[in-house]
Amino acid sequence: MSKQAQALFLDKRMGFFIYLFVEGIMFAVLFATYIVYTPSHPGPDPRDVYSVPSVLLASFCLFASSATLLLAEKGLSRKSMPLVRGGMAATFFLGAGFFLLEIYEYFHYVTEGYTFTVNNFLSSFYILTGLHAVHVLFGLLWMVVLTLHSFRTLPYGLYQEKQKIFQYYWHFVDGVWLFILLIVYLPYIV
Amino acid sequence: MTLPIWDNVLYMPGDVIAAWIMMLLVGPILLLWLSKTKKWPLVWEYMRTTNHRKIGSMYVLFGFLFFLRGGIDALLMRTQLAVPENNFWVFQGDKYNEVFSTHGTMMIFFAAMPLLIGLMNIAVPLQIGARDMAFPFLNAVSFWMFLAGGMLFNMAFFLDSSPNAGWTAYTPLSTDTYTQTEGNDYYLFALQVSGLGTTLTAVNMIVTILRHRAPGMKWNRMPLFPWATLVTSLLILVAFPVLTIALFLLMFERLFDTSFFSGEAGNPVYWQHLFWIFGHPEVYILALPAFGIFSDVISTFSRKKVFGYTAMVLSLCLIGFLGFMVWAHHMFTVGLGPMANTFFAITTMLIAIPTGIKVFNWLFTMRNGVVRFTVPMLFALAFIPTFVMGGVTGVMLSVAAADMQFHDTHFVVAHFHYTIIGSTILGVFAGIYYWYPKITGKLLDRRLGIWHLGLFITGFHLTFFLMHITGLNGMPRRTYTYQWGENLFAFNFISTIGAFLMGAGMAVFIWNIIRTRQSGDHAGADPWQGRTLEWLVSSPAPEHPFTKQPVVDQRDAFWYAKQAGRRMAAGTDSRPAPIAGKTIQPLCIGAILWLLSLSMIYQWWILAVLSGVLVLVMFLLRTWRDERINTIGKEGTADE
Amino acid sequence: MKKAWIVLLLLLNGCQIRTLNPHSQVAGDQAMLIYLSFAIMIVVMAVVFVLLIRFAWKYKQTAKNKDDVPEEINSNKRLEIMWTLFPVLLLAILAVPTVVVTYHVSPESRNGTDNAAANEAAIHIQVTAERYDWTFTYENGKQSNRLVLPVGEQAILHLQSEDVIHSFWVPELGGKQDVIPGKEILFEVTPDKTGTFLGKCAEFCGVNHALMRFDTDVLQEKAYRNWLQEE
Repeated sequence: MSKQAQALFLDKRMGFFIYLFVEGIMFAVLFATYIVYTPSHPGPDPRDVYSVPSVLLASFCLFASSATLLLAEKGLSRKSMPLVRGGMAATFFLGAGFFLLEIYEYFHYVTEGYTFTVNNFLSSFYILTGLHAVHVLFGLLWMVVLTLHSFRTLPYGLYQEKQKIFQYYWHFVDGVWLFILLIVYLPYIV
Repeated sequence: MTLPIWDNVLYMPGDVIAAWIMMLLVGPILLLWLSKTKKWPLVWEYMRTTNHRKIGSMYVLFGFLFFLRGGIDALLMRTQLAVPENNFWVFQGDKYNEVFSTHGTMMIFFAAMPLLIGLMNIAVPLQIGARDMAFPFLNAVSFWMFLAGGMLFNMAFFLDSSPNAGWTAYTPLSTDTYTQTEGNDYYLFALQVSGLGTTLTAVNMIVTILRHRAPGMKWNRMPLFPWATLVTSLLILVAFPVLTIALFLLMFERLFDTSFFSGEAGNPVYWQHLFWIFGHPEVYILALPAFGIFSDVISTFSRKKVFGYTAMVLSLCLIGFLGFMVWAHHMFTVGLGPMANTFFAITTMLIAIPTGIKVFNWLFTMRNGVVRFTVPMLFALAFIPTFVMGGVTGVMLSVAAADMQFHDTHFVVAHFHYTIIGSTILGVFAGIYYWYPKITGKLLDRRLGIWHLGLFITGFHLTFFLMHITGLNGMPRRTYTYQWGENLFAFNFISTIGAFLMGAGMAVFIWNIIRTRQSGDHAGADPWQGRTLEWLVSSPAPEHPFTKQPVVDQRDAFWYAKQAGRRMAAGTDSRPAPIAGKTIQPLCIGAILWLLSLSMIYQWWILAVLSGVLVLVMFLLRTWRDERINTIGKEGTADE
Repeated sequence: MKKAWIVLLLLLNGCQIRTLNPHSQVAGDQAMLIYLSFAIMIVVMAVVFVLLIRFAWKYKQTAKNKDDVPEEINSNKRLEIMWTLFPVLLLAILAVPTVVVTYHVSPESRNGTDNAAANEAAIHIQVTAERYDWTFTYENGKQSNRLVLPVGEQAILHLQSEDVIHSFWVPELGGKQDVIPGKEILFEVTPDKTGTFLGKCAEFCGVNHALMRFDTDVLQEKAYRNWLQEE
């Protein structure tokens, strides 16, 4: 990257990190809300609601997608577009897999009668994981846009920047899931 | 008043009808004036600008308009309270509740915040020698988000659905069980949209200050207004997301039937925690920038460096930090128990220490100096006693057991007006008088400025000083009436007179602006014998202020360069400037978010989904038409 | 402005002000704290005002010094330590009684399982707040919208809300205590003088919040018993 592009990239990276910090606080408040209201009475207990296999499979998909994204990162620094696109495709499909599993999980819960307003535990659960799922969906769309970008005659420095910012985002979303797993699910499935 | 429209009868309160008539009269006149004076190209220019000074000016302009709106609300309230058992116009019961809810929300979120952010936008990049904000596009987006929220909030009144649960929107009163009308939905979405804008501004400010300072401007050489801005932005980063989520949860409560805050399983106090974890730092978000402005003003007009610079910076940071540890002092009467009450009483008292340090440092900046009584300096001199009075009542309120008497009375109303008007509003006016040359190129009239301050501050003390007494004498806040036998009449009546004096002060200020526009003198680059870098560039500040960033070799470098009779050196290795271009996209984003909010408020789901998609389209448009493709492209590919 | 504070001080001493005209132990403690904090804060204000007026006057620009460039002073350790420690000292003086009284008057909401609820010597009154009325239910089942208490006896008010948050406040008897739906909060009071006072809802609760008032009578023991037996 040129000196100018480099400086502007560092600006942007710092700005984006700060933004992710803001998102982190938002999720933290939702975690607090979940902890305050779970378990809540009357209504279902988290132990009866959570379906362990789909949660584990979804987590596997999302964590694996972070790993495949590392491939794309490697491709980016080596300027190897096939590696970038390959890594991104794998990330996309794993991410989409996570998203579909999440939808499936919701669907499963709802058919069992565990709907959004049954009690405060379920409300806070759906809001927290739902906001995370929306982040994943946004990331999926972002990946589509980036792939489209990669076929444009974009200056490589600019493409690299856009790709890197996305990578931070995706790892962040992954990190949030780790906390969801530890705080939302784990205390009630072991 | 009821209006028969065909077969339906529409009820409209008199004040709303009056507002519509005003609007229909003033609107066409304004449009006509814009056409007559050929202002449309200028309007178009501002709609597409990403320049920090222009965006800052728009923030100040709209913040001031909303300030006037909130001020009119205040006058209506004071008129209703002027005599006991009064029945002024329509302002009893719910109508009064709507007025004070609007007043509080308007003043905090749509007047004080934008006025301060506007001044930060105008002054901070210049003071640190930056060429613009780090992210000019984002800056414009923040502004239009604020305006979208502001428009939404003001619209509610014209549709006779103002929020009516207070600016704190305590649950369960603010849930749809107890306030069914759309009023509080307007509150929710207006705050949500403008709050996100504020958060993005904070990100922008931090990156600007961290990465765009002129060469040689080390941390200990930075003026205090940028320092205050930095600390404030950090507070915003932590406080506003909490508000965002609180509002998010309240949205689910009102629109999607959750029961976090109401009903059998709900916990109404949880809302208070969330709100005040945001709300108390918010108070410092309002006060710290004003401290920064006064530090610069007092130093400039005492012709001296700020006294105890390090202590000033440390106390800013300490106030910011402690600001997060005191939220429950708004909840002493909730019944949190003796432990919590004592803890928060002590932390609250601790804040007085760094604040005291700042006050003494301001005083000792003046000592041994040459104090010029310019208008900004007079505002600073009015600020110190006013704010200290607010501060001491703050300490009185921190005494938890005594607070149980003060809480939710006019004593508290007096306290927070002393602190917020004392610091923020006086600070904003000091800032406007001080930087007016940088905004418009002209100096505001001194004589009218003194009248403005005189009327405003006299009216202010008349209004709010007496509220301490009415509060102690048993007058709760947020009540629209009181009885003859309560011994409250004389105080309230004088308060009302004071409020109108403040209004007169504002009228003088507006007259000052109009007169200066018509006949004011052009100010040079440095009309105040300034010390900081904004006085290095011409007035008004040009679109590209520093072609080469100046080299800073000490604090107040510009002043010492002038003293030594030399020009400031221009840097050779300036960092690259942010790339800006004119674009209408930010305005479109604001408009779409406005539409999205409106469709959520009225639960037009199809429109809501459509505008949600439009938001995504704006993201796409933004990344696709990145303005750097052209600029970076040329050299970027060559390097690779 | 300083004059205004002196006027206030005189007014406060006039016993006209409800919160400073205590009729119970708690309100008395609170009034003492108000006076104490006010007195300490007057000291702070006096110092600031004197310095401000002195500096602004003494160092104002005149024809003589208008071109002077004053000598720069970065800071002064001794002064700065002084005005850091001076407030610490004042606050410490204030903090001690604050902690003591706060511990004493902060109610706990333990849904009637703690000592206060079990205190059989005291008079227990159920207080129900519902927009925009207060209902007081006495031990013998009598309901009224007046709060009537005997002088010199401990009364325990069981505060409950039927809808939104209200706040129970009789300035002369000390205050105030929020009344929160879904929770029973105990408020203890021992009136030590007779009188009739105005009570109010102090937490904004809706349309007629301003009208949510009630009368409080503190009567002699005998008069209280008579009132209780009245239909």
